[in-house]
Amino acid sequence: MKKFIAMLMALTIMLSLAACGAGSGNGDELKTVTEGKLTVALSPDFAPMEFVDPTKEGQDMYVGFDVTLSKFIAEELGLELVIMPMSFDACQTAVYAGTVDMSVSGFSWTEEREQNYNMSDYYHAGDNEDEQILITLASNGDKFATAEGLKGAKIGAQNASLQQSLTTEQLPDCELVIFTDIGTGVLQLKNGDFDCIAVADGNGEAIIASNPEIAKSGYKFFVDEKYTGNVILMQKGNDTLTELVNNILAKAEQYYDKWYEDAKSTAGIDVSYDDEGNAITE
Amino acid sequence: MDFSLFLPNMVKLWTKYWHIFLLEGLKNTLILTCISVALGTVLGALVAMAKMSKSKIIRFLISIYIEVIRGTPILLQLYVFYFVLPNVFTFMKLSPFMWVSIALCVNSAAYVSEVIRSGIQAVDKGQAEAARSLGLSEKQTMMKIILPQAVRNILPALGNEFIMMLKETSLASTFFLGDLMTSYQIVKGATMLTLEPMTIIAIIYLCMTFPLSKIVERFEKKMANPNSYRKHKKLNKAK
Repeated sequence: MKKFIAMLMALTIMLSLAACGAGSGNGDELKTVTEGKLTVALSPDFAPMEFVDPTKEGQDMYVGFDVTLSKFIAEELGLELVIMPMSFDACQTAVYAGTVDMSVSGFSWTEEREQNYNMSDYYHAGDNEDEQILITLASNGDKFATAEGLKGAKIGAQNASLQQSLTTEQLPDCELVIFTDIGTGVLQLKNGDFDCIAVADGNGEAIIASNPEIAKSGYKFFVDEKYTGNVILMQKGNDTLTELVNNILAKAEQYYDKWYEDAKSTAGIDVSYDDEGNAITE
Repeated sequence: MDFSLFLPNMVKLWTKYWHIFLLEGLKNTLILTCISVALGTVLGALVAMAKMSKSKIIRFLISIYIEVIRGTPILLQLYVFYFVLPNVFTFMKLSPFMWVSIALCVNSAAYVSEVIRSGIQAVDKGQAEAARSLGLSEKQTMMKIILPQAVRNILPALGNEFIMMLKETSLASTFFLGDLMTSYQIVKGATMLTLEPMTIIAIIYLCMTFPLSKIVERFEKKMANPNSYRKHKKLNKAK
């Protein structure tokens, strides 16, 4: 019996510890997960917004628009930037659980996210990221260029993405198929599992650059203004950080175009093809 | 699907990124596997002992641990260790790599403990009874009679556990921890090619698991019946 009571007490202590851990500081002083550091989660599989430069090592290997933006924010806050790479789904969990301070991973605004996270103001990575398109096999020509031609077509979209909601809303006659990662989606498209996949224009261009058999279908989604920018995700209730980040975003705006061009020129250079689809060897 | 570019692309990826696959991916996969199997075996032995202890409470607690670990997907356990536990045990300042290693250890320990326990319990009861009636103490019976026979059952199964862990470390790539599966994701992200890097890491995984499983197989034969194996070998030589 004594042992049982001791066990119960141990359990209670564990649980109260857990409760302590969950509460986050919400004073006027900015508190980060690790003191003196700004921890950012991102999913580096989304060129040119965030991806890995395999020629570099350690923290330097994460590059892209969002990484440059995170660096700028960390610098303005006077903190050291620490990037924690993880899958796209895990990024949201990390912010929710307080493992990281924020996630800068090309998030679009959605109502569900608004309810569960603090969000920054919009930032724009250039026109290419604002446009949402369909890509298809080049051999399909302009078969899927109009909503008419798309009737009954199978369209792939990444799970929990903006493209998924756009497809459901604007192409109700199509069959929507979900995949978890863009690379797999591209493979399925090449395999003939889908007729098209829905992607952001910039991302689509990066895909086409290394896959010559894929081309834009010619179809463009209508994108409501509230979806055109990206937002930064922060823990619900962390208003101090959100306010600071919004001020910094206002300052950063002037650099967006340059950052995006830089990111694009780094992405997709590894395998390139000439017009006939032959790999170019240096 | 067009496969004409498949081989040239693979060669190109290999010449450009071989160091990512071998020096990064393979290295980290092996480190993760060795840590989790080595510590998992030690921890598993302790857990197996606790599972066979006389105290009901200890037995109960240990079976909860084993049931929870074996009854939930390892990916889910990784999420818990990566996101929840660092928030609970805030005084433990460990790197993500350490947290994932711990998760893999804890997972491996549960499986290993069952391997050890079943290995010990598979030894015929008559052996223990005979030893006890000959006047050996309980400890002596365990150390000199039961364990040497149990090892025969346990070792090949541990080899299989090593192979299993080698493959399961690939889940660490959810958090980009630098294992082989992560190198696939890195190369995929940089080149937007999927099938080619996938084939490359499949070959690397096979290069590790195939010889390992052959060794385990040989071991199994040897352990199953040491005498007949030796005889068989001698006969072969005589021919």
